[in-house]
Amino acid sequence: MPQTLSTREANLFRTVIRHYEDKQYKRGLKAAEQILKKNPKHGDTMSMKALIMNAQGKTEEAFALAKEALTIDMKSHICWHVYGILYRTNKNFDEAIKAYKFALKLEPDSHQIQRDLAILQVQMRDYQGYVQSRLTMLKARPQLRQNWTALAIAYHLEGNLQQAEKILTTYEKSVTTAPLKTDFENSEAVLYKNSIIAEMGEVERALEHLETDGKHNLDRLAVMELRARYLAQLGRKEEAAKAYRALLDRNPEHPDYYQCLIETLDMSKTDEAALKAVYDEYAEKFPRCDAARRLPLDFLTGDDFQKAAKSYLTLMFNKGVPSTFANLKHLYSNSFKKDTLPTLADEYLQEHKQNSDGKEQANGDSSKGEGAALFFLAQHYNYHMSRDLSRAMEYVERAIELDPKNTDFQMTKARIYKHQGETQKASEAMDYARTLDTRDRYINSKAAKYQLRNNENENALTTMGLFTRAETVGGPLADLIDMQCIWFLTEDGEAWQRRGNLGLALKRFHTIFNIFDIWQEDQFDFHSFSLRKGQIRAYIDMIRWQDQLREHPFYFRAALDAVNLYLDMHDKPQGSNGVNGVDGGKANGEDAAEKKKAAKKAKKEAQKAEREAAEKAAKQDPNKASAQKGKDAEDAKKKDDDPNGLKLASTTDPLGDAMKFLGPLLQFSPKNIDGQLAGFEVFIRRKKYLLALRCLNAALALDKDHPRVQEQSKTFQEAIGPILDSFAPKVQEIIKSEFTAFSS
Amino acid sequence: MDIRLLKPSDIPLIQHANLENLPENYFLKYYLYHALSWPQLSYVAVDAARPAKTPYDYPKIVGYVLAKMEEEPTDGVQHGHITSLSVMRTHRRLGIAEKLMRQSQQAMVETFGAQYVSLHVRVSNQAAIHLYRDTLGFKNEKTENKYYADGEDAYCMKLDLSFIREQIQEAEVDAGSSEKGA
Amino acid sequence: TGGDVEDEVVNSTAKSAEDRKAAAALSKLDTHDDDESGRQMVDQDALNNVMEGVVVPKRDDEAPRKVVKVDPADVALLVDELELPKTKATELLRSHDGDAVKAMRAFITPSWKA
Repeated sequence: MPQTLSTREANLFRTVIRHYEDKQYKRGLKAAEQILKKNPKHGDTMSMKALIMNAQGKTEEAFALAKEALTIDMKSHICWHVYGILYRTNKNFDEAIKAYKFALKLEPDSHQIQRDLAILQVQMRDYQGYVQSRLTMLKARPQLRQNWTALAIAYHLEGNLQQAEKILTTYEKSVTTAPLKTDFENSEAVLYKNSIIAEMGEVERALEHLETDGKHNLDRLAVMELRARYLAQLGRKEEAAKAYRALLDRNPEHPDYYQCLIETLDMSKTDEAALKAVYDEYAEKFPRCDAARRLPLDFLTGDDFQKAAKSYLTLMFNKGVPSTFANLKHLYSNSFKKDTLPTLADEYLQEHKQNSDGKEQANGDSSKGEGAALFFLAQHYNYHMSRDLSRAMEYVERAIELDPKNTDFQMTKARIYKHQGETQKASEAMDYARTLDTRDRYINSKAAKYQLRNNENENALTTMGLFTRAETVGGPLADLIDMQCIWFLTEDGEAWQRRGNLGLALKRFHTIFNIFDIWQEDQFDFHSFSLRKGQIRAYIDMIRWQDQLREHPFYFRAALDAVNLYLDMHDKPQGSNGVNGVDGGKANGEDAAEKKKAAKKAKKEAQKAEREAAEKAAKQDPNKASAQKGKDAEDAKKKDDDPNGLKLASTTDPLGDAMKFLGPLLQFSPKNIDGQLAGFEVFIRRKKYLLALRCLNAALALDKDHPRVQEQSKTFQEAIGPILDSFAPKVQEIIKSEFTAFSS
Repeated sequence: MDIRLLKPSDIPLIQHANLENLPENYFLKYYLYHALSWPQLSYVAVDAARPAKTPYDYPKIVGYVLAKMEEEPTDGVQHGHITSLSVMRTHRRLGIAEKLMRQSQQAMVETFGAQYVSLHVRVSNQAAIHLYRDTLGFKNEKTENKYYADGEDAYCMKLDLSFIREQIQEAEVDAGSSEKGA
Repeated sequence: TGGDVEDEVVNSTAKSAEDRKAAAALSKLDTHDDDESGRQMVDQDALNNVMEGVVVPKRDDEAPRKVVKVDPADVALLVDELELPKTKATELLRSHDGDAVKAMRAFITPSWKA
């Protein structure tokens, strides 16, 4: 039977809530205890106490207490609400939704519960549920514009564009005073509505709406861009051209604008001179503009290309722009251009030489152009489409001779070593480049990366430590994890993998997996925040991006590494030798011993770092008690019970563990053949033949001539041949009809 | 190179560029906070010429400006603030930083009515100070002691944006009377 | 350090002015100030009238939902072979008229090729 509180304690209960909301957890707990002393079976207080404990990181105790509270008072919406919050903060969103729904049934008018439920629904992409919730919230408070916008968003995300627009219009009609010109919420709502109209394909109406309601919109760039696009779509070319010209005046470095302008000008795509004239106009108007000078190189051919390329290279070399090669290498798919560019760079060098031979140039900058041209040629011969590494080295040495302290030149030298397979020399050269500019983090990062490529994990971390924050508990690695430095974690993991330290390799890949979880979770606050800010289009963009979050190459690379590592673990369960797969069975004893030694050393070092960090934390200024105490809770939460990944490496089910990484890989990057190939290997070992076939068919569709696809077809054939009869008839039918690799 | 508005999907690579280039780093969520609060103000420079390696390539960010409006300005004056600006070492000398800044400043005035823009810069960062002071016209307001985690001081710099407001007004007048470009 | 309750309020990880700024901004993201002060003047009557009209529209695809019989044995087969959760397996079967072969075939065909 639920207990009821006296007035005094009811007041006390309210302060518990307030303390919780103000994050005054100790005070909150104290007040809760006071109530419980007299009313030990007060469910709501027990729940609040659980909530506070959860915030302090005592998750398990919190759940136990919240459950107990529920058994005492099943009819309390507070108990259910708290239960939902516990699930939510521990990221079990499905259970959280269930609990909120119970709470809401008991207290249908609770704005807070309804809001919490709505946020979870959109987080979980339950758009139908979200529409229902936002509708209820709108009915409760129709005077709030946010509620109308939110309902429109719900319809929009659900795919019901008409209804979304209708809701926005309905609100507009009920407004009696004209919104101020500076009313940002209104300004954005207008453009949001405009984007919905356009999404429905009603371009004409979108343009009309933009030119009336959007006329004085605060987001000028958006209005200009949308207007130009609509005009172009409607074939009103002259006006569209003018609109694109206005955009180019604003930002002449946006290639899309030139492209769109040209499309409105009714030019022949082969009339290179006319096309170039469009760009020339902007090159002249904006002397410092890069795009107008560079973009014509994409379409020009023959002598015209040569002429334009020469003038572009001259300009870039004279300025000493280091990115010249990077900005032009895409032209190499055309062999004429690939041959012309180095010739031009050579010519530049010759001319430059003549000039400086003729008269010693007065300004010390004379070597800048020569250095830039040599640098270009070094990169040219280092590039995979035009590779000649000894010539590359020749050119970079000449450049270095000219300017021995130039970091960029030294960096390229390191890169050439890398392509020669000389990882040790590459690492040394990059580290030397680093010493030339110790205040620049970019070169520092590159030095660390090259150390990792040379399996120097410890050195790399030391290098990184020159720029991480000294006071972070746990040292540079903890700071890099905190700051979500994916590239380092990936490279570090791959290096550990090469060194045979499976634990640390897995640890890094799992850390990356967790960072993606955090990134997904990061959107949570914005479901309500964006409504308050009124920035709706950006919010919708964010939602769409989040839906595809794990297609990011950052995820793909780490996940593929992890899957391949687990596959190796499955195939060679004896442990740390031969992880590369290549030297697998016949790994010589010496190598294996060395790897073991390295793993041991690494473990020792990690333990040492941990000890030091703990000491450091203990020694921190006691005067900063307030800062430190908050941290304790945080640290308790963060305490890692497997810092070296030993538990991860001792798994008895590597294939099962691989599934965690593989699932999102196949779901979000199905067109990346490496994922499909890895998927096949996992599924065939797990004897999930239909799923293996699924990967195989996807790989075939992507590249049927890929050597590994051929191999896998054979593997599949051999695997199922003898056992096909034992499959369920329906599965047999599928395999017979869908496994066509051999017949084709 | 392509200079355009920041999109949420750019954020992982913006964070990456920040981690590669600068000692002051942030959680992804802080970038998201900028992108979703003032989406008009942050710009990126993209290596548009990069050949694609997979169907899931994201545009390579070689420079970015992460900007905001001051939420509760202590002086009561609407103004913008540059949270972070950097250009990859490989893409310097193209004026990218300046171009990014100018796009952002324009939008600060147009969209949020900013009167000025402020920023912090390490007192030792000569290249950045040169850009802000000599190229963009920022003035040094004051020095903030030990602003950075490693103990270095920061210059607090400001740029009055009324010249942009005037340009906008002129353009409006021009558009009203005759046809003439900006 | 026991006993005192004046704690926990300040964000502790921020060590520089720069970090404090970021931390402060992020900690405020989830505050729910349902601030109504900034609301515009709305015509309450008009609003009430239009609210009447705001009802959940029945989605066309929901209305006459086809009754598809799904064999539990097929669900089990799909759950096992394709490693789908039960609900997803049922859904997949439903959208292929309860035909397990069709459903599985669709599932293993690359989506961009179908």
